[in-house]
Parts: sequence; C-alpha cells; structure tokens
Amino acid sequence: MPLLTDLARLTQAERGDLPTSPARSQGRRRWRRALGVVVPLLLLGAWAMVSGLGWISPGLLPAPWTVTDAGRDFFFGERRTTLAGVVAFDGAGWGHVGASIFRCLVSFALAVVVGISVGLALGLSRWVADLFDPVINALRAVPLYAWLPISLIWFGIGEGAARALIFIGALWPVLIATADSVSRVPRGYIETARMLGTPRHRLWRRVYVPSALPEIVTGLRLSLTLAWMCVIVGELTGTSTGVGAMMNAARETGRIDEIVVGMFVFAVVGYLADLVLRGLTRRWVSWADT
Amino acid sequence: MSTLRAVQISKSFGAVAVLDRIDLTVQPGETYALLGPSGCGKSTLLRVMAGFEPADEGRVELAGRVVTRPSPERGMVAQAGTLFPWLPLRDNLAFGPREAGRSDVDEVVAELLQATGLADFADALPRQLSGGMQQRAAIAQVLANGPPVLLLDEPFGALDAQTRLRMHEWLRSVLAARETTTLLVTHDVDEALLLADRLGLLSARPARVVEEIPVPFGGARGRHTLSDPAFVRMKAQILDRVLVA
Ligand SMILES: Nc1ncnc2c1ncn2[C@@H]1O[C@H](COP(=O)(O)OP(=O)(O)OP(=O)(O)O)[C@@H](O)[C@H]1O
Ligand SMILES: [Mg+2]
Repeated sequence: MPLLTDLARLTQAERGDLPTSPARSQGRRRWRRALGVVVPLLLLGAWAMVSGLGWISPGLLPAPWTVTDAGRDFFFGERRTTLAGVVAFDGAGWGHVGASIFRCLVSFALAVVVGISVGLALGLSRWVADLFDPVINALRAVPLYAWLPISLIWFGIGEGAARALIFIGALWPVLIATADSVSRVPRGYIETARMLGTPRHRLWRRVYVPSALPEIVTGLRLSLTLAWMCVIVGELTGTSTGVGAMMNAARETGRIDEIVVGMFVFAVVGYLADLVLRGLTRRWVSWADT
Repeated sequence: MSTLRAVQISKSFGAVAVLDRIDLTVQPGETYALLGPSGCGKSTLLRVMAGFEPADEGRVELAGRVVTRPSPERGMVAQAGTLFPWLPLRDNLAFGPREAGRSDVDEVVAELLQATGLADFADALPRQLSGGMQQRAAIAQVLANGPPVLLLDEPFGALDAQTRLRMHEWLRSVLAARETTTLLVTHDVDEALLLADRLGLLSARPARVVEEIPVPFGGARGRHTLSDPAFVRMKAQILDRVLVA
C-alpha cells in the first residue's frame, strides 16, 4: 500500500513544523524577566539617596526606612483598640487589605457577569446594538467621581456606595471588549459550525465566545485593574476598613509615611492581581499567541 | 446514497450577475469536478449549494428534497481552511459528532486521525500544522459527520505541486472508501482529471455550465496516470476549452 508509507513519510517531513521551544530561549526569557527588577532597585536607590542627603523634606516624602517602619507596624504591629469609626493602623494591615480585596472582587465579579452578558447581547444582535450603543457610550463618558454623589444617596454611606462605584469603574472595559470582539468574529467560523450541526442558539457558546475570548480576557484584565483603582474612590465614601480608608485617615492626621505605605500596597496588590488573572486565563488565550 | 442537484440557480451581487441558470446533477457516489476561470463564480455556487448563501432563483435538491440551510449532510470545505483555531486537532475533528450527540466520538476521531496520518498531532493547534496537514484535517472534520454529500472548494489550491499530488492520491482513497457524492471546484485540470468521474466546464462570469465531459480513467489513478498518453491528450483538450471559455 504505497499510500500509507507515503503518508507516513509526508508527516515525517512535516514534523519539523511543530514549533519547539529550545532551552536556550527559555533561559533568555528568564534573564529578561530578571531585568524588570533593575529599574525598581535604581529608583529605590535614588529615593534613599535623596532622603539620606536631606535634599527633600520628610514632610513631603519620608525616607524609605521611615516608610518601611510604618509598613512593618501596619502589617505586624500590635493591634490597639480604637474608638468606633476611627480607622486603625497598627497591626490592621491584613484586615484593611483583605477588606479592599474582598470589596474589589465582589464588584469585579458582578461587573464581569453583567459586562459579558450585555456585551454578548450587543455583539450578537445588530438590533440590540443599534438600540443601546448611544446610551452605553454616553454613560461610559460619565467620570467615576460624577457617580459618587448619587451612589451615596442611592446606596448609603459606606459599603454599598463603595461597591457600586467599583462596579461602575470595572464594567466598561469588559463590556466593550466583549461586544466589540463578538461582533467581529469571522463569518467563516459561524458557517462552518452551522454546517457541522451547531444549532443557532448554541453558536454563542461554541463559536462566538471561544473565538472572542482572547480579547475578552484583555478586557477582563483592564477591568480588574480599573476595579482595583476604583477601590480608593469607593473607600472615600466613608468605609472604616480598607486601604483607601486608612490612607484617607492618614491624610487627615498628616501621616505621610502611612500614605506612602498605602500606595505601595495598591501597587503591589494590583500587580499581583493582574499576574494571577493572566495565569488563570492563559490556557484560554494561548491559541492566539503569535 | 444521494443525488445532488442544482436546478436553474441564478445569483447576482448587486448589479454583478455571478451565476446564470446553473443546472447540475451529481449522481450518487460520483465525484464531479467544476472547472472554470478565476472569479467566474465557482465559490459562490458552492456556497449556495451548502446553504451559506441564498440563491436569487432556482433551488438545490438533495435526494429529491429541496434544501436551503447549512447542514451536516452537506459537508463543505471552504477555500481558506475552516478549522477552529482555538481547538486542538482532536476537538476540531470531534466538533460535528459532538453536536450530533454521538456516543462513539472517540472512535470516529481516532479513525480519522489514522486516515489522515495525523495521529501524532491530535493535540496540536491548527496553526501548528502545515498547510497540507490543515487541509487534510479540514476535510476530516467534515467527514466526521459521515455526510452523504461533500462540497470541496479548491481544497488544495494553496499547496505546492508535490504536496497537492499526494493530497489527490490521499483524497481518492478516502472517497473510494466512503461512496460520498462529491462536488469539487477547482481550476487545476490535473486535479479534476485525477479525482473526478465527470467534469463540468463553466464559462466566465456570469457562470454557466458550457460542457460536461466524462472522465474515462478508471479507479486506480495516481502519479503514474499523469504520464499516461490518454491523460496528457485529454488535459490538453480541456485546457484549450477552458482558456477559450
Ligand atoms: N459577498 C459578495 N459580495 C459581492 N460580490 C461578491 C461576493 N462574493 C463574490 N462576489 C463576486 O462574485 C464573483 C465570483 O466570485 P467567486 O468567489 O464565486 O469566484 P470564484 O470562481 O470562486 O473565483 P476563484 O477561482 O478566484 O476562487 C466575483 O466577481 C466576486 O467579486
Ligand atoms: Mg473561489
């Protein structure tokens, strides 16, 4: 049977096509990632120098070691009982971070569910898109701070308003990314799926969502970043827990070292959250890697 | 086994008439090749037959029934590959049988991987396959549904000549084993003569069937056929007519 041997030889020749990642390029990638530490270290050095030489007043920017001390107190200091409504600092770090993260995740999850559903509806139906596009684009233009007063009135000072604001901030990127990518799914995929037996009502699950997933994930990452950024706005509404609440209290008492600790916490948690989300979603989007 | 018929199909895009009262009958189990100049409307005709595009006039019949919508019983492989890029080969092949709710999905997929010589690549993504592998896989994806009718739009048009010849031999063996009614669109005369039982020549746009020619070479066609004097003579004749049309 010449066909089979021939086919075997053919695939043998084709085997070269499977891209392999040699160890060398992996090592190089690791080395390149290590480069990312260089700039933060340089910045830290410059900061230490500026503070150590007294070029900048500690009232404007406290020294790195002052901030480190404050950070240690924040996370590992001894808890003191505070009056109701007073925002704790010493030893309250984990509690505040946890409260902020929880708030952020609750609102982010809601934004993801609403954003993907509405985005799908917009992307799948010309009708829905024509009806709602103007409203959505207008609402999207309202700055987050402009939602603050009405959130306070509708949801009350504290938790409700905070969650509402984070939700609004996180909603748009995932909604827009979903609507946009779903509406641009190539027609050929739809036709192939229909020809292979996918009923219309199942197309969204079998074709639209998987095909659009890489862009939806980009929207998710942007939404998560925005949700985390909106946490501070949400926590200006008078919550007594959360990193934002701590920073607000620190501003009132003039503790600039505590403010800087808060900024670091926002930066580190935000960065880690994106890493985690990217890791969790990698297997959905790797097919689109070039 | 089913007869596939196009009855008086006409189609225009705006002012451009593309198909002009096309009549065509593909007998059960027959492989029919449509040859025509580039841009004459071959893909459009196949898309109408597949149900992707409505005809302005006329109808498509399968075993006497009028068919309109896309369906697993008319498997179509489009000109540009149609594998889903997000699914590994295995899941691409399993797509149709899963939609049909079949219980023997794994066996069907294993058999097709064997038949396409792609068993080692079951977990590869389409973009990790070469052009020839992708086209074999696209055909296998459609065959997974066991369609009585196969519509192929220049399935090997993008491949180099040697790979294409291997693909022709492969496709012959696959079709011979399945008794599928096949409508093949091509502008490669070799391809038409190697694969088809009958040829239809199309005119330039708007496409009409100008001539139907039976292909006399028997079942055992392959690379050796290319040098057969009868083959060479027939190829020259057909090229003449295609170039005149
Ligand atoms: N969706 C469409 N809208 C408008 N015009 C179209 C559309 N699809 C095809 N056409 C036109 O119809 C004509 C025939 O196109 P078609 O793709 O069927 O040709 P073809 O014979 O398959 O060409 P090729 O050999 O290059 O694949 C072309 O002039 C093309 O511009
Ligand atoms: Mg074409």
